[in-house]
Amino acid sequence: MFSKKLSRVAIAGIGVALMGVAACGGSDSGSSTSSSSSATGGDTSSESSAATSSSASSSASTGTGGEGGTIAIITVDPSNPYWKAEVDTAVAKATELGYTTTTSAHKNDPDEQQRLMETAINAKVSGILLDPAGAEESIAIVQRATDAGIPVALVNAEINETGIAVAQIVSNNAQGATIGAEAWSEAMNYTGTYVELFGNPSDNNAQVRSDGYEAVISQYPDLQKVGEEIANWDRQEGQEKMEALLSAHPDITGVIAGNDEMALGAINAIKAANKIDQIKVLGFDGNQDAVNAVKAGEMVATVVQPIVEGTNLAVEQLDSFIRTGSTGASEEKQAIDCVLITTENADTVNNFVISS
Amino acid sequence: MTETTTKPASGTGNPPGGSANGNGRSSRFNLNSVLVEGRALIALIVIVAFFAIMSENYLTGGNLTSIIKQVAFNAIIALGMLLVILNGGIDLSVGSTVGLTGAVAGNLFRGLHVPFTDAILFPQVWVIVIVSVLVGMLVGYVNGLLIARLNLAPFIVTLGMLYVARGLTQVFLNGQNITAELRGQEELGNTGFFGVFASSPLGIPISAWVMVVLAVIFSILLTRTPFGRWLYATGSNTRAAQLSGVPVKKVETRIYVLSGMCAALVGILQIANISSSTADLGQFYELNAIAAVVIGGAALSGGRGTVRGTIIGALVIGFLANGLVIIGVSPFWQQVVTGAVIILAVAVDSIQQIAQRRRNARRAVANLRQSTRSTPPPAAA
Repeated sequence: MFSKKLSRVAIAGIGVALMGVAACGGSDSGSSTSSSSSATGGDTSSESSAATSSSASSSASTGTGGEGGTIAIITVDPSNPYWKAEVDTAVAKATELGYTTTTSAHKNDPDEQQRLMETAINAKVSGILLDPAGAEESIAIVQRATDAGIPVALVNAEINETGIAVAQIVSNNAQGATIGAEAWSEAMNYTGTYVELFGNPSDNNAQVRSDGYEAVISQYPDLQKVGEEIANWDRQEGQEKMEALLSAHPDITGVIAGNDEMALGAINAIKAANKIDQIKVLGFDGNQDAVNAVKAGEMVATVVQPIVEGTNLAVEQLDSFIRTGSTGASEEKQAIDCVLITTENADTVNNFVISS
Repeated sequence: MTETTTKPASGTGNPPGGSANGNGRSSRFNLNSVLVEGRALIALIVIVAFFAIMSENYLTGGNLTSIIKQVAFNAIIALGMLLVILNGGIDLSVGSTVGLTGAVAGNLFRGLHVPFTDAILFPQVWVIVIVSVLVGMLVGYVNGLLIARLNLAPFIVTLGMLYVARGLTQVFLNGQNITAELRGQEELGNTGFFGVFASSPLGIPISAWVMVVLAVIFSILLTRTPFGRWLYATGSNTRAAQLSGVPVKKVETRIYVLSGMCAALVGILQIANISSSTADLGQFYELNAIAAVVIGGAALSGGRGTVRGTIIGALVIGFLANGLVIIGVSPFWQQVVTGAVIILAVAVDSIQQIAQRRRNARRAVANLRQSTRSTPPPAAA
């Protein structure tokens, strides 16, 4: 009886172990697809705070004794291709500049961000690269790191305060939304009815993009919005909401989505309804699936945020500040413009990098 | 028609909320059962009628198809959840299992790297599907073993598994969606995934067919097999069931395996539906499934609930969610309404049970008075 129980538990243990082994294989094969991720394959995926604190504490020893010290990279959510590119770029650049790195993710939760930042501060890292969770919410914790003598560079999103972080390098979401909406309006022939898929309402960028779209589209009175749904940046939710919107408004000719994942979900729904020739879809982010959809003519346009370029810049300026006390840039807030992707240049985009 | 909540194994377990002295199918209990299930059905009819009046686009063929598809995803998971809840447990890991299964399937499409060689294996579609479903069942088996054999609380074990499975999903996908590979390649012989798992035989989405088949199987399992009787018995009173010879541990382990299997099926169907394997797939599915089971009249304390009620519960959620979008309710208010409907459904259930218990008590008192008045010892009420 007891041995039988033990054997069952052993089977369970083997099961878990098997899943673990298989998982390692999975991350190996994944990292081979992009050159920059090979150095970080294992690191970035273990983004729970527990993994972070252990790696951060282990890095504390290397931070004091090592050559370049440690840079703590705190991002949003590496399970999304966009932030994966951000993390991979940051790790590769920091490693190239002679630093060791720790990576962690706060999933746009200011509480979690606070914990991760405190961990990094306690570990006395040389510098922090942060993709902040909220423009207001992040000010205090960035201030605390700066007070502790640890320089913080912000990437992708900004805070509503200058003079605290050493650099704030953001992609210009408002500009990106504007150029996307321009291209889409043109494809719509400046007339017709459309619906909007909105991102996670607690994420600042959802509103910024929506406002950017609105600013352009409101110039054309014949373009009329007949519905709006929240799909939380998610593909499956985008598809589900789009199916219902198509039922409610069978005659729409356009869809604007706050990001590519929702747009791709919408395209699935539109294709199922055999209306892909009739409906023009706009995405945002420029992830590879979306770029492929643009190539296939299913998406009118998407907008690439130059996240790789921005991240490289942020790490370089952080490095410069750590070594010389100055970032070398004239402004703290630096906006990098987004790039419009249509059928004309879709071939030049590969994993958020645009080759000219 | 009423499924056998009144048939405890060897007469030891008293179904909570049921008539305590009902040792057969008394007509009164039938009536109550109809009311409990009818409540969800009435809600469904009211919801459908309301939205049909509000919008002419609600009851169209295309919209019904998309509602049924969404309902089926939820209902399949809810059927697994029903078994677990009948047992008095809970399975919070199903949403993550959906994601994990999708990630495993996606990776198998991408090819399996054979260790120590340069060879890459590309399994055929049916192999991929079977392996993925087995992974889901393995997750359930681990849950079941920990819960049944080590006596751990289901809430904690499956909560832990929620994180483990979601983490593994992210490890497998490594920050990249798997999309193009799902189509397969002709020369590798692994094409045809969408042809089956995103198809609509007779115009009805494949997920709905899977739901119907599972509902029939689970219904038979619960009402016509010893396993079903054991399950209701353990859910009503574990100790009594154990004493009367029900293999309690075995039953408990198996239901989590079945729950994992249901989640795995949804994982496969859902990646075919959205034509991509993504890291966030299946988030919060567990909560929708629990809501469907509870709206369908099941008790979270175990021992009470039916397949039919669960399907109706899933239909209520699906028709409501779609209708709110169709008539253009603000997305913020949609959540408020959905939550209120769930609470309302459970509240009505509880009120009915309280009333039923009062009726039973009154009847018992009346019986008692009657029996004390009559001189011979009472044989039966």
